[in-house]
Amino acid sequence: MEKERERQQEKIEKTGAVMIVGGGVGGMQAALDLANSGFKVYLVEESTAIGGRMAQLDKTFPTNDCSMCTISPKLVETGRHLNIQLMMDSEVMKVDGPAGNFTVTVRHKPRYIDISKCTGCSECAQVCPIITPGRFDEGMAQQRAAYKLYPQAVPNAYAIEKRGIPPCRDACPTGQRAQGYIALIREGRYEDAMRVIKEDNPFPGICGRICNHRCEDECNRNLVDQPLSIANLKRFVTDQVYKQPYIPPDPLPYQFGEKVAIIGAGPCGLTAAKDLRKVGYPVTIFEALPIAGGMLRVGVPDYRLPPLIVDREVREIIDLGIDLRLNTPVSNLDDIMKEGFKAVLIAVGAHEGRKLPIPGTDLPEVLINTQFLRDVSLLSLGMHKDPAGKEIRDPKADIQNRHVLVLGGGNVAIDCARTAVRLGAAKVDMACLESREKMPAHPDEVKEAEEEGITVYSSRSFKRILDKDRHVAGVEAVKVTFMEFDQDGRLNLETEEGSEHVLPCEVVIFAIGQRAGLAFIPESAGVGVTRMSTIAVNPNTFAATRPGVFAAGDVTTGTSFVVEAVASGHKSAASIHRYLRGEELEPVPLPELPVVKLTKEELQERVASGDVRVTPRVRIEPRPVSQRTSSFAEVSPGYTEEEAKAEAARCLACGICSECLCCYYKCGLGAIHHDMVETQEEVQVGSIILSPGYEVYNARLSQEYGLGRYPNVLNALQFERILSASGPTMGHVQRPSDSQLPRKIAFLQCVGSRDQDHPYCSAVCCMYATKEAIIAKEHEKEIQPTIFFIDIRAYGKGFDAYYERAKKEYGVRYVRCAISRVVEDPQTKNLWITYIDDAGEIKEEEFDLVVLSVGMVPSASTRELAKNVGIELDAYGFAKTDSLTPLATSRPGVYACGVFQGPKDIPETVAQASGAAAAASEILSEVRGTMVARKEYPEQKDVREEEPRIGVFVCRCGNNIGGVVNVPGVKDYAASLGNVVFADENLYTCSQDTQEKIKKAIEEHKLNRVIVASCSPRTHEPLFQETIREAGLNRYLFEMANIRDQCSWVHMHEKEEATSKARDLVRMAVANANLISPLEELTKGVIKRGLVIGGGLSGMTAALGLAEQGFEAVLVEKESELGGNLRHLKTTLDGKNIPKYLEELKAKVTKHPRIQVFSNAVITDFSGYVGNYKTNLMVGPRMFTREVEHGVTIVATGGEELNPKEYLYGEDQRVLTQLELEGFLHGDGKRVQELKEIVMIQCVGSRNEERPYCSRVCCAEAVKNALTIKSLNPRARVTILYRDMRMYSMLEEDYARARKAGVRFLRYEEERKPEVAQKDGKLEVTVYNPVLRENLSYHPDLLVLSAATIPADTAELASMLKVPRNADGFFLEAHMKLRPVDFASEGIYLCGVAHSPKMIDESLSQAAAAVSRACTILAKDQIQVGGVVSVVDPEKCAACLTCVRVCPYNVPVINKDGVAEIEAAMCHGCGICASECPGKAIKLQHFTDEQVMAKCDVIIEVLSEAFRGERV
Amino acid sequence: MEKFEPIVIAFCCHYCAYTAADLAGTMRLQYPYNVRIIRLPCTGKVDIRHLLEVFEKGADGAYVAGCLEGDCHFLKGNFRAKKRVALAKQILEDAGIGGERLEMYNMSAAMGPRFAEVAREMTEKIRKLGPSPIKKNAERKAHSAERKEEQTAEHITQKV
Repeated sequence: MEKERERQQEKIEKTGAVMIVGGGVGGMQAALDLANSGFKVYLVEESTAIGGRMAQLDKTFPTNDCSMCTISPKLVETGRHLNIQLMMDSEVMKVDGPAGNFTVTVRHKPRYIDISKCTGCSECAQVCPIITPGRFDEGMAQQRAAYKLYPQAVPNAYAIEKRGIPPCRDACPTGQRAQGYIALIREGRYEDAMRVIKEDNPFPGICGRICNHRCEDECNRNLVDQPLSIANLKRFVTDQVYKQPYIPPDPLPYQFGEKVAIIGAGPCGLTAAKDLRKVGYPVTIFEALPIAGGMLRVGVPDYRLPPLIVDREVREIIDLGIDLRLNTPVSNLDDIMKEGFKAVLIAVGAHEGRKLPIPGTDLPEVLINTQFLRDVSLLSLGMHKDPAGKEIRDPKADIQNRHVLVLGGGNVAIDCARTAVRLGAAKVDMACLESREKMPAHPDEVKEAEEEGITVYSSRSFKRILDKDRHVAGVEAVKVTFMEFDQDGRLNLETEEGSEHVLPCEVVIFAIGQRAGLAFIPESAGVGVTRMSTIAVNPNTFAATRPGVFAAGDVTTGTSFVVEAVASGHKSAASIHRYLRGEELEPVPLPELPVVKLTKEELQERVASGDVRVTPRVRIEPRPVSQRTSSFAEVSPGYTEEEAKAEAARCLACGICSECLCCYYKCGLGAIHHDMVETQEEVQVGSIILSPGYEVYNARLSQEYGLGRYPNVLNALQFERILSASGPTMGHVQRPSDSQLPRKIAFLQCVGSRDQDHPYCSAVCCMYATKEAIIAKEHEKEIQPTIFFIDIRAYGKGFDAYYERAKKEYGVRYVRCAISRVVEDPQTKNLWITYIDDAGEIKEEEFDLVVLSVGMVPSASTRELAKNVGIELDAYGFAKTDSLTPLATSRPGVYACGVFQGPKDIPETVAQASGAAAAASEILSEVRGTMVARKEYPEQKDVREEEPRIGVFVCRCGNNIGGVVNVPGVKDYAASLGNVVFADENLYTCSQDTQEKIKKAIEEHKLNRVIVASCSPRTHEPLFQETIREAGLNRYLFEMANIRDQCSWVHMHEKEEATSKARDLVRMAVANANLISPLEELTKGVIKRGLVIGGGLSGMTAALGLAEQGFEAVLVEKESELGGNLRHLKTTLDGKNIPKYLEELKAKVTKHPRIQVFSNAVITDFSGYVGNYKTNLMVGPRMFTREVEHGVTIVATGGEELNPKEYLYGEDQRVLTQLELEGFLHGDGKRVQELKEIVMIQCVGSRNEERPYCSRVCCAEAVKNALTIKSLNPRARVTILYRDMRMYSMLEEDYARARKAGVRFLRYEEERKPEVAQKDGKLEVTVYNPVLRENLSYHPDLLVLSAATIPADTAELASMLKVPRNADGFFLEAHMKLRPVDFASEGIYLCGVAHSPKMIDESLSQAAAAVSRACTILAKDQIQVGGVVSVVDPEKCAACLTCVRVCPYNVPVINKDGVAEIEAAMCHGCGICASECPGKAIKLQHFTDEQVMAKCDVIIEVLSEAFRGERV
Repeated sequence: MEKFEPIVIAFCCHYCAYTAADLAGTMRLQYPYNVRIIRLPCTGKVDIRHLLEVFEKGADGAYVAGCLEGDCHFLKGNFRAKKRVALAKQILEDAGIGGERLEMYNMSAAMGPRFAEVAREMTEKIRKLGPSPIKKNAERKAHSAERKEEQTAEHITQKV
């Protein structure tokens, strides 16, 4: 079966590429290993930047290393690697095909910023008005909607966060980006706010006053208190902007020849005219009235909409270059068509008022709404003739001192009534069909009308107008009991019988609706008209029945709101454009974002967390009645600036990005695309590694701890950000409620771990809590941290020492106790914790801050990922793997690493990631190198004999530099400096086109030195070095001046000083450039063979791994037999048969054609450097000497179980070690049956003064053996005496299983260890029980000691290899966190127990990791050495040995000529030797003393000049 | 009295202090432009001669900023630097220039605020200490030399 599969596997055409999902530290490590060993890598990351959790951390345990410092170089390397393709904002949707040749479907979510164009200049974020709680700071600091996840993020590109369409925008027919302009108001950017409004609506001043603002009805803030006052905010913007004098816009250019006619200069016609003119059509508007603006100008009274506003907004449109013909009624549509217009838009509105068909309407005092209002407006403009040329009769004459009754209940009726008041009517009443509640007029309007003395008679129907001597003498009305318009607009009415009554009045104004005047469209025109007397149009295209004729606005719908007219104006214009371009008239629907409907729960949470404060809207008091009824002055005074900002600050920013387009206009690179949509892509890969990481447990779900409810309860990640110098408080320890220093901080362990829903241990929380406690204390000595814990699981390398230091040096208090509840003191916001102390008493204690040590949980997206990839998960959502194949998932060719495989810390994640890389590439070894790109460079020009010809490129970085530093000035200054033959400035020097410009300049001006004055060499030097190399210059002929990060940004407000400093920095760079020289990089061959030292599990696995990767392996074992400790083990905790596994492994190793095994062998000599090592062996039993040449070395020397010196071990046969017990249990079953009582003692020889480390494996070993005993002999009593049960990660499950099986666990205290004696031939174990506080005695048949794991004796080996060991004798890796299997010396790796005690699966992962690291060397044919390395001048060397002594990597040696020699391949380029060398015989290339001093000289010279200048 | 503006040179290692300086920029933290940065791969590269020579040439203050202790990218370069700074301080003290004009700082790459703080702290400290005595001497000499030249010139003019 398996062979069959293997054969099939061989037939598959494999792909030399690997996909890695997850860009955290694990994903990056796997990507780099694979890309460096000949595979193309696709790194899929769902967020906008790689770096994962580690980037969020402040420090890492147990070294307190700065997390960002260590991860940053990895970020850069991953981001820049030629063979790593980053797929950001992406997810895996589907995996098809067999291992070796998968087809992966990847979904790319829109980022809205083109990564390939974005230079990370930050200008988009600077102009973005939207503030949201930043994810990177765990919601504790603000971030803009255009954001970069964190300052050092890779890729160095911004992204825009969109949640969806805010409900306000969705509710608006024109799609007003209200959220956007509101945010801009909050920032005081009124011009920008105006621009945003005008994106969708050319009439902000109008709509800010008279719109029915449906946006406010839909506002999510309704669920909190009151909706935003959106209309008033819009009006406020216009008040601010229109204060400024009007500057006419430049007329727009024409793009198209087709003339468009628009009939009607109302809001619809004007909107369409503007849109069409902007697209580039010649537009003519025909308007019957003597003034443009339509209803807005002649239908809405001035007190509600000042005419100046209308005039200004209309003018702004006309001034774009529109031909407006006033007083030009269109009498016949055909005339227009004959004039050569290719399209006509009818937008004449509905200006004809109506009367009811009742008796008396012909009386002279019966007026009609539209005419009445229009006459008032025209007269106020000094116009005395109506459009038909008739003299206007002043309505004032009819109204003054008379009793007016307005019939109608809409806004127009109110307008008429209030206008009548202002014209001096004696009394004004209104009467309408609708009930008071259903009146179509806005309630505020009705209220204001009543304030002005208007009486409203609602629910009335009108019978007739009473006639007394041909004058109006009242209206006869009846009471309405029911009214409703049916679907066709027909009225159903029921009235109360006998309710006839007279409403007294002298003037009647009908305000019961308007319709369009369509006399100019005879039937012959071919334009269909509906029964409702509107023009028939297709609602999607606004096309009328005659081709080329369109209609929109009230003329198609009947009376509606201005915003509808605007919306239809936009849509009809777009339709006309499509028509004229011969396109399909129906628009293609674009994919739309969802509307953001916030839930009540979400909002309550935001209120609880303080993110949203309950504050009702800022009200505007209308002017007092006395002031307003006497004139047409505007009723509402509008917001003051202060009020508007306060109101704007209430916006919930529902959509996050509001598409205000500030970023779009700001970006000088055209990188912003708000219309980006999701795409999918298929990628071929040979194998897949999943490293998607985890989420921290959402402790809000455990309400008893108060996270989210109490401000001073944080989760550990939040506290981590508080500790971070770049975090929300800049590293000052403050509590959220009052920003005060929290003196007493409680850490609660196991929140979301070791509970019913998460019956596993999260493996890292004990240590990170310890770390956070230490770091807090380092920040502020006064802080008193207390950690409430169940067991302290300090099981990793160096962890126990760290824990001890926390207790003893830092005074961190540890209290063993689970906390069930946290209660807040509402006054002080302090927190009360109840617990049981050491003496067994219940204690209450008050803390200033509580930090929850939240566990690791797989995220919902990882479940989705597993489903899409088709792999099995365990019950909690971690990838299913087993102890002997810890990296393989249930689907062949798919591997897992990091926390996705189970909770673990950073070094284990990194080791697993390397291991997964080895596993993923093993099946692809024959296609190694087939898909990688290799860069070809032109030959290097030899410039050594040339005089320096320097080119300087000064960057503006958009406004980042250009806005502060006088860039042209700096450029000119650069050009004036010696040897500078060319100077230029660029908007963005790092953009792709500028690289070409630089190359061209190198060519044209024969440059042999290049300086870029821009940002930091840390991030950009490699890019520019690459550019000049592509132009044929040696990389080292490049120099940078950091005039942004270290100049314009830190002297933002001192432009002159910043400019002068920028000049100085350029001058320093020039001084340095004169001294730099090309550095040669030599190539050295690589011996494709690895030497593995140690033939235990790790060593054999490593050797086999190298061989399977296609390289030769030499395995050296000191004993006569392979297998190491594995020979003593029988099963794993998950029941795997170890002897069988061992035999198979041994067979594979010994039979492998590429593996040579030397047993009974010792190493006698070791020399060489990476790629070229030489090792001498003595191979027994006859002690032959052998010489092995190899490119890499893997140290897997292992360790062994300690022979205990206590507890009667060796004196009493009944006292065994765990390994001995395991042998016993798998021996004679009968003897196990006889056992009645077994006691085990943990930490024998570990965690003491002699061996202060935890041996890590003994707790699990004890549990395993106890479970075996219980399964063989359930009646046997097993008691495990322990200090902390370190059953970390998934071992916690086994711990629970043992307790369930009846194994008893009894804690003993370090100071009161168990005592063992022989009494009457029996063993007696006495132990103090700290809970019962009494001694207990046992008389076991067997006493089992969990003895320490000790390292093999490697003192001699370490000195030969020149690799360090720690105080406990374990080898010391290059970096605890990020290089867990590397030695500092390149080409030497370590794995297994030689590194520290570990479990089988951990050793397997590490061995695979060592293979992966080794492959990054072995896969290369050559390695480049040299560059920034130290070189010795043998003439000057006195062989004083200083360099030999000071080099941290033991590189310098005294050679056969008796002088120091530094092998370039081994030198790290720190320069310590150069500065220590007393004879100055050593120099560090590229950082020579001359160079350093030349720069210093410039500094002193320029500053002396500058400061002298100041004194004058 | 005229306002004294000190010249301060900061020798920063590439991996931590220089990165912290960049971060100070990213965070827009303002610090005096009196401080000028020299980037080195490691503070272990700071030569004691550089530390002394900058004073000889007219710097008023200098400091070396490296990684946190134990965090050196090159394992122990910052310890080397610490020793050298201590020695150089002693020499400056003995030479009457003042050992307090030279300091050693440690900071991580994430400590942008600390970088800005140190820059301010050092500038203010040196401002209080006043110009380096070497500079004062040099100026005095230069001044007298100038005077001499002027006198000679006068003398010549008179003769003519």
